[in-house]
Amino acid sequence: MLNDTYDATLILNEAMKYARKLKKQKTEESVEPEKTKIAILGSYSIQFFRIILQYMLHKEGIVTDVYEGDYNGIDMALLDPESEFYKFQADVVIILPYHEDVKTLPNPFEQTESIDKKIDSVISHYADSWKRINDRMNCHILQANFVIPNLTSLGILESNYEFSYTHFLKKINLLLEEKRASNVTIIDMDQMASRVGKNNWFDHSAYFMNKAGFSMDHMPYAVKTFVDAIKALRGKIRKCLVLDLDNTLWGGVVAECNYDGILLDPNQAEGEAYRAFQQYILNLRKRGVILAVCSKNDEPVAKEPFEKNENMILHLSDISCFTANWNDKVSNIKLIARELNIGTDSMVFVDDNPAEREIVRQFMPEVLVVDLPEDVAYYRTALEEAGAFDWIQITKDDISRTEYYVEGKKREDFLMSFSDYDDYLQALEMEGNVYDLDESNIPRFVQLINKSNQFNLRTRRYNEAEIRSMISDDQYALLFVKIKDRFSDYGLISCVILKKVGMDCFIDTWLMSCRVLKRKIENMVCERIRAVANEWQCTSIIGEYIPTAKNGMVSKLYEELGFESVDTHICKTSEESRIYVLKTDSDNKLNYYIKHVD
Amino acid sequence: MSILEELQDIFRDIFDDEELVISEETSAADIDDWDSLVNIQLMVTICKHFDVRMTTQEISGFENVGDIVDCIKGKIG
Repeated sequence: MLNDTYDATLILNEAMKYARKLKKQKTEESVEPEKTKIAILGSYSIQFFRIILQYMLHKEGIVTDVYEGDYNGIDMALLDPESEFYKFQADVVIILPYHEDVKTLPNPFEQTESIDKKIDSVISHYADSWKRINDRMNCHILQANFVIPNLTSLGILESNYEFSYTHFLKKINLLLEEKRASNVTIIDMDQMASRVGKNNWFDHSAYFMNKAGFSMDHMPYAVKTFVDAIKALRGKIRKCLVLDLDNTLWGGVVAECNYDGILLDPNQAEGEAYRAFQQYILNLRKRGVILAVCSKNDEPVAKEPFEKNENMILHLSDISCFTANWNDKVSNIKLIARELNIGTDSMVFVDDNPAEREIVRQFMPEVLVVDLPEDVAYYRTALEEAGAFDWIQITKDDISRTEYYVEGKKREDFLMSFSDYDDYLQALEMEGNVYDLDESNIPRFVQLINKSNQFNLRTRRYNEAEIRSMISDDQYALLFVKIKDRFSDYGLISCVILKKVGMDCFIDTWLMSCRVLKRKIENMVCERIRAVANEWQCTSIIGEYIPTAKNGMVSKLYEELGFESVDTHICKTSEESRIYVLKTDSDNKLNYYIKHVD
Repeated sequence: MSILEELQDIFRDIFDDEELVISEETSAADIDDWDSLVNIQLMVTICKHFDVRMTTQEISGFENVGDIVDCIKGKIG
């Protein structure tokens, strides 16, 4: 959302009311399920940041418990192992520094090495802080960088001498990015401030009066970035962009003006603007966003520009699912979701037609609908400001995933040529195995744990630090599956966490990417789970299914694998969940067609 | 509506009290919830409502509602 679409005062007043309500609730003592624990440490006054963050997360359905550090108390909280900060044990730690924190500045014409030493000491201070936090709690850190102030002493020369304040802070910001630990996300506040303009960002009056780090006018805009990061940490990310065609990807209506008559000429302002929008979208695809087309058109007509207009930047091979027909867009978006095997809440819809946007908004509130402005030159900005694709990390698998979906279409055609499903599975020539989790696969493992919703038995979310502590605990076994077939290499697509509890082997986590359903991979995994249980000399394997709005597809999984349902209340996580047992000595042979590779 | 009446509406909304009556003499000491945090909220909301900017000197000098009224009067004429 563009900054000026926020009414900062309105949000402030609503947030203050919500804060008051929370305070009252606390005194009445309320027990709420699964709060996200957030600790905020800042070098300036962070009370309003906290209040607005809590309010905006609440609006997103995320209930929070917040620890607010003392004013300018970052170091105090971090250095004292007994501090309230460590007792709080946050899931997310937000660190908001202020440029005035950096006290040792370069002197005019100071030697490079000597300036670098000063920079190093700032950077190692942060690296130490991250390490201290990591040593004492399992959390993710959102580290804001320094907003470089709009006041200089060198004027035009500020960017010409390495002893300048601006140059010094720029370098610090750059090094923060380079040195970040894997569970640290740098939030680029300097960039945020630049977007609204630094003369608007800083409110010097408010700084002197209340130690406000920046203007209240931009608080909701700034906080939204943190809200998006926290949503991403909780697995709420969007991965598919659904695009309209006419007047969205090109100017004009292709059915009327033909594939070569649409506005897409780089020598003409409007055409260039549409091309710039296509380029922006292509860049999204390159970073792993799946593209789909949803257009009211006859399919051959809609595809013609992609095939024949040489000014097109997007090609058919970039589009993982192409729907062009005369059905309503809501049905088509649902169809795309089914074809790609993704949840509709991971989709973003872009259309120039306000009526189409309204219908999608109304019938599919879970889809993020981007309002394109009238001016095509600002299409990119609208999509950018929607913050639709804020992920907490990108893995190599994300980048190549877009390919899988395109390959997936070929696979479907291939499937049509078999009448027996087992013949099909054999012909896929799958190769893969179940492996013990090792260092290099941790990022993808954590990512999958935090975003799988459908094939996910218990939907437990763990961060990287928690996974690491399980690896070093011999009561746990962490397994993953890698698979490839004759069409593509899927990489890491399934995660399992087993816990030894006395004579039982408990399946704490079992999930799988939806790209590889119905391949009997679960049979291979089950075989391995039994092997681990036998190694541990357990007599039973215990599985639990915790129903959510999305994981209906695995409600029968344990039964299909030969587990027996037990009527018990012991160890049930929720009232609706079901417990299953498989005796390790039971006779239970499951078939699959995956060639083992090491 | 006079400036004082408009301020009263803002105060009622912010303190969530429809019965609240303020006068030029009302100060932070008279309203329980009027702490430094709410004071900032008040200033932001008042500036936005009357579309005025207040200087550091002006805000620091406010002793009661009357001072705020005078300041606004001086700005919107």
